Amino acid sequence: MLKIAVMIKQVPDSQDISIDPVTKTLNRSMARNVVNPPDVNATEAAIQLKDRYGGEITVITMGPPMADTALLQLMGMGADNGVLVTDRVFAGADTWPTGFTLASVADFLGGFDVIFCGEETTDSSTGHVGPGIAEFLDYEQATYVHKVEYENGFLIVVRDIEGAEETIKIGTPAVLTITLNANEPRNPTLKRKIDAYKKGIRLVTNKELQLDPACIGLKGSPTIVKDMKTVPDPIKNPSKPTIEELDKVVSVLIEKGVVK
Amino acid sequence: MSDYDAIVVGAGNAGSAAAITMASKGLSVLLVDRSDPPGTKNLSGGVLWGNDLAKILPKWQSEAPLERFIQDKKIGFLTEKSSIIIDFKTKIFEENKVGHTVLRSKFDPWLAKKAREAGATVIPGITVESLVKKDGKIIGVEESGDVVTSNVVVLAEGINPRLAIEAGLRPPLQDWEVSVGVKEIIKLSPQKIEDRFNLSSTSGLASEYIMGNLGELNAGAFFYTNKDSISLGIVAPMERLRENGVTHTYDIIEQFKEHPSIAPLIDGGTVAEYGAHMIPEGGLEMVPQLFGDGYMIVGDSAGFGFSNGLVLQGMNYAFLSGILAGEAAVEAKSRNDFSSSSLSTYKRKLDNSYVLKDLRTFKDIRKVTNNKSMYTTYPKMLESILLEMLWERGQPKKKVREILGSCAADLNVGKLKTATDFYYMYRRM
Repeated sequence: MLKIAVMIKQVPDSQDISIDPVTKTLNRSMARNVVNPPDVNATEAAIQLKDRYGGEITVITMGPPMADTALLQLMGMGADNGVLVTDRVFAGADTWPTGFTLASVADFLGGFDVIFCGEETTDSSTGHVGPGIAEFLDYEQATYVHKVEYENGFLIVVRDIEGAEETIKIGTPAVLTITLNANEPRNPTLKRKIDAYKKGIRLVTNKELQLDPACIGLKGSPTIVKDMKTVPDPIKNPSKPTIEELDKVVSVLIEKGVVK
Repeated sequence: MSDYDAIVVGAGNAGSAAAITMASKGLSVLLVDRSDPPGTKNLSGGVLWGNDLAKILPKWQSEAPLERFIQDKKIGFLTEKSSIIIDFKTKIFEENKVGHTVLRSKFDPWLAKKAREAGATVIPGITVESLVKKDGKIIGVEESGDVVTSNVVVLAEGINPRLAIEAGLRPPLQDWEVSVGVKEIIKLSPQKIEDRFNLSSTSGLASEYIMGNLGELNAGAFFYTNKDSISLGIVAPMERLRENGVTHTYDIIEQFKEHPSIAPLIDGGTVAEYGAHMIPEGGLEMVPQLFGDGYMIVGDSAGFGFSNGLVLQGMNYAFLSGILAGEAAVEAKSRNDFSSSSLSTYKRKLDNSYVLKDLRTFKDIRKVTNNKSMYTTYPKMLESILLEMLWERGQPKKKVREILGSCAADLNVGKLKTATDFYYMYRRM
């Protein structure tokens, strides 16, 4: 039976985010929180692995108390347990302490055979955290994965590389980062969500983890944001097609038999 | 043994109010909503009158995410070039602070959170597929092939109650029963709002108009101030829209926004959100059988709303019907009897409340709101009268009676028709 973890993050819905032209910061005030989209694909990949080879899935997130809804949603899809790592001392973390903290949580929970992550988050797009977890735990790793098989303690995974796919075989324990749209995530069901609600979310704070305050949160973050600029939209004034041009397009479509 | 005492479908004002009422009396309650966070797909014009909400959440005025309390209420007519407005600004509103503008996408998740705090299991992001019937009794809901059972299902599905319709608990919606509301939220700085509308940092304005510039569409419009945005929109009967055929609701809202009295009010604002929603306007005639073995219907799903062309209310009817259904379920639980006759107390409670009393009192109101002259002739007539009285053009002055006579002649309306219209308005409003 495989012991599986999925590391996920709640992010502001990218559709609702705008950049304040004056302060040049992200305006998230209108945004609702959603599960980082590739993390949903990672959860689906984990559930498919469990369905075929048996196992128990724990979804883990580091975030504010309200992030419990993200865990309940994924438990509604079929994950067994939810763990919310929440403590003020973890706030303001960049990718280094985030990877470190999540790796420590995995260790605290007794380690896993496979840890799934999304390829990157939509609100920072670094792709650091998955590989970071693997390094801190000294696990095998494969990034940009869209297909996973399991065979005698080994994982056979298909990776997206520029313009091609690469199939590799790696040992366990391992961290896999899953690409956006790698699969079609199932919808949560009412019954599973009720069960998740009844089961509840396990809260983990630094009281249990006892991590060095210098290695976590803002203090443990080596990144310093020096400046942020908005880049002007390259297509400033797309010229509208004329009626004649549209007629031409339509006649070509008719000619090719695309429309009748 | 059922999984829950009650399953509430829909976390809007009616559903959450029912869930809070039942859960706080110790019933086991499941509240399911299709959106996550719960209630974020819900939409209203945006003025909430909170007398009923206070019954279940006495601290709502300090706890709920409210925008501005209504201090200034305007009602009036718009014609192509004019606006004729009654501006009712009163200290009484300020002393009571019962009417507030709200943004439902913020308010409803808060209300659902209150249901959770009261002890209800709140499950967002799930669309219930069907009701489950056994021996003619509703015994629960189905989703993804799983059945969750309850003693009673409270249907708070909103204006188009798919589950109730599919289970044969009410007929599909007819055009005459609903209006279509189209709304935009326009961002404007608090400073601009307060300067432009002569408001304080907490007070607000709510205006409602009869659109006399859109012919026989019988359209109305609303304009409300939030903290840092304006909620505005139009409402037109589905029947008139269908009949008209060519005018789209998004054209009507544009015409409203471009009206010479409205455009300056939103100058410099940017559209942040838009949405559309149906509004129950069928009155008593559209109210279905409200209860039966194992179910009750509340809020918009039951057709509870009030409209007389100038006043449009729904949220307060939702709260109260939800509370009364909740109370009926609590009483049914004490008898351990969720049959139709046991749940009939819900109807009795409604009969004794303003919900059904209002619908009965104004049962003929549609004859007024459906009267095309209300939206075509009379706004123009008012405009002509005011022009005659208030515009000095170097002409001999006329008595009101003479002005009325010549206006009626100009607009080609018979005196008898006008007299009957006003008589019926007087009788029915």
